[in-house]
Amino acid sequence: MALVRPRLTDYYGISQAQAELDFAIPFLDEDVPLYVDPFLLWKSPSQQDQALHTSLVNSFNRQNWLLQKGREDEAAQNLVLASECDEVGLGLSRTRKGKRIGAGTAQDILALFRHIPEYGRFGFTHFEEIQLYVDGISKDRISDFTCNFLKSFLIDFTIDQCQALGIPVSTVRLASLYDYRSYSFQHNLEVTLPVYPERGTPIIFVPKRWLRHVPWLNFDDYFASYCPKDEVVHRQGSDERVSVLAYNRDNYGVVEAYVQAKERVAEDCKTDPLFKQIPVLSARRKLNEIRGLSTGIGDSADKKYEKAASELLASLLYPHLDFADVQSRTAGGTTIRDLVFYNNRSVDFLQEILDDYRSRQLVMELKNVRSIEREHINQLNRYLTNEFGAFGVLVTRHPLPRAMFRNTIELWAGQRRCIIALTDADLELMVGVYESKQRSPIEVLKRSYIEFRRACPS
Amino acid sequence: MKRADVDVFEKLTVQLDGLYQELSILAKKTPNDAINGFKLSFINDILAQCNSLFGEKYRPFAGFETFSAEELPSNSDATFILSQYIECAEKFRADHIQNEGIQGWSWQIDDKGPRISTSRPKKLSPKD
Repeated sequence: MALVRPRLTDYYGISQAQAELDFAIPFLDEDVPLYVDPFLLWKSPSQQDQALHTSLVNSFNRQNWLLQKGREDEAAQNLVLASECDEVGLGLSRTRKGKRIGAGTAQDILALFRHIPEYGRFGFTHFEEIQLYVDGISKDRISDFTCNFLKSFLIDFTIDQCQALGIPVSTVRLASLYDYRSYSFQHNLEVTLPVYPERGTPIIFVPKRWLRHVPWLNFDDYFASYCPKDEVVHRQGSDERVSVLAYNRDNYGVVEAYVQAKERVAEDCKTDPLFKQIPVLSARRKLNEIRGLSTGIGDSADKKYEKAASELLASLLYPHLDFADVQSRTAGGTTIRDLVFYNNRSVDFLQEILDDYRSRQLVMELKNVRSIEREHINQLNRYLTNEFGAFGVLVTRHPLPRAMFRNTIELWAGQRRCIIALTDADLELMVGVYESKQRSPIEVLKRSYIEFRRACPS
Repeated sequence: MKRADVDVFEKLTVQLDGLYQELSILAKKTPNDAINGFKLSFINDILAQCNSLFGEKYRPFAGFETFSAEELPSNSDATFILSQYIECAEKFRADHIQNEGIQGWSWQIDDKGPRISTSRPKKLSPKD
């Protein structure tokens, strides 16, 4: 069994938590569900980000220059090449192999320079406006255009991060790389980058301060709040997406007003975090929900318990433990839900968990039962293999009965396996310190572990 | 009892009282909330000095020395222990002071020097 939802850093045994790193840690099997928003570069207080935005927009507007010079094919080809950036691993793809835009879409984009005089003469300030004119262009394309035009910077950034963290790099060939000096794509270049372990394809890191779920300027926001729908229906016959896009092409002023309005509230444009903790008030509410649930499966109490406990623990243990996934498995005819966390070793005892029990990921089994029985412990014990090492947590309602606690001690004595329990009382203390900020909730887990170890024979 | 020990005792009792008052306020609001590591380190420091001064005889509990940070003691745990130390400090004082009649109460000092006045033991009423 391999790591659950493996990340690059975990693969190479690097212990930093996501919160401590400047880039979004790439997953090995799937994409990070966020996108680069060029508006974040524009509004950034950093001169470096602002300069990168300028070079990005310059690179995009360069296609207009090519158009004016009669080199339309070259401009279209540039847009096609810039429209997909697999190396950054952003988006929703599980296959990590995206498709470029077609020649028709590239022509539609270039047509904006011809048909809208403002763009033809002055170029774009926010090139993500193309979402408002061209069908088939959305947040993923904007992100890919940005990454491709800034790829040279991102490669340097990636190499810096790899050197700082000790991530191994290899010499790989990139199919294309944008050269800002010549405003053109270079082909088949050799660069030094980290690679996906099994496929050997290159990885490029992206600063997490540039990431959002949707760009600040986007079609849905425009359509919901700024688009004069009556006018669109009057002119185009309907307010469907394609009609709105056609309307925008003929009414640049409406788009310009939208962009100016969004620029005025640019302070509200914030980076989306890779993981968002639930608010303190919600944590208390979830705890009360858990405490109000009966044990067992009646009235779907087990499902409700699993849902509330998952949300609560993922938030409480962040940023010391990055939440990986909820896993379901079947044992003895019952479905068991586990929470899996990456072992970031950000707290001293987590290093001990790795050293002594070889746990690269921590598994927590959720058990909404009145009393833990031998079979429950055995189920978790059987699951503790490979990457999970020999350490597991039973998240349950009440403390282990004396006989079951002795059972876990015997497991440690006989097989050096450590199974500890987190009860409702522990969750209450975790929520308490989450509210008061006097201690960290992970210390409650540490306390349970230390109490267990003290009970073990020396 | 040495003159220097009286100094240490007086400082420690003032600090014990201060800690107790601070933590009582927290314990009334959130009795089960854990004390943070910063506060706990100073509480433990005071308790360790008290243990050293009091010795086995005056320590409140034979099985307790200081709080373990890993056990996440709560505000009410701390006020409970501090109140016991305050009581034992008074017992310690009562056993090391003497009534000098018209001059009032003073510490029993081994080394020579001026007397150090103190108040009467708390368990005695003003008439005693």
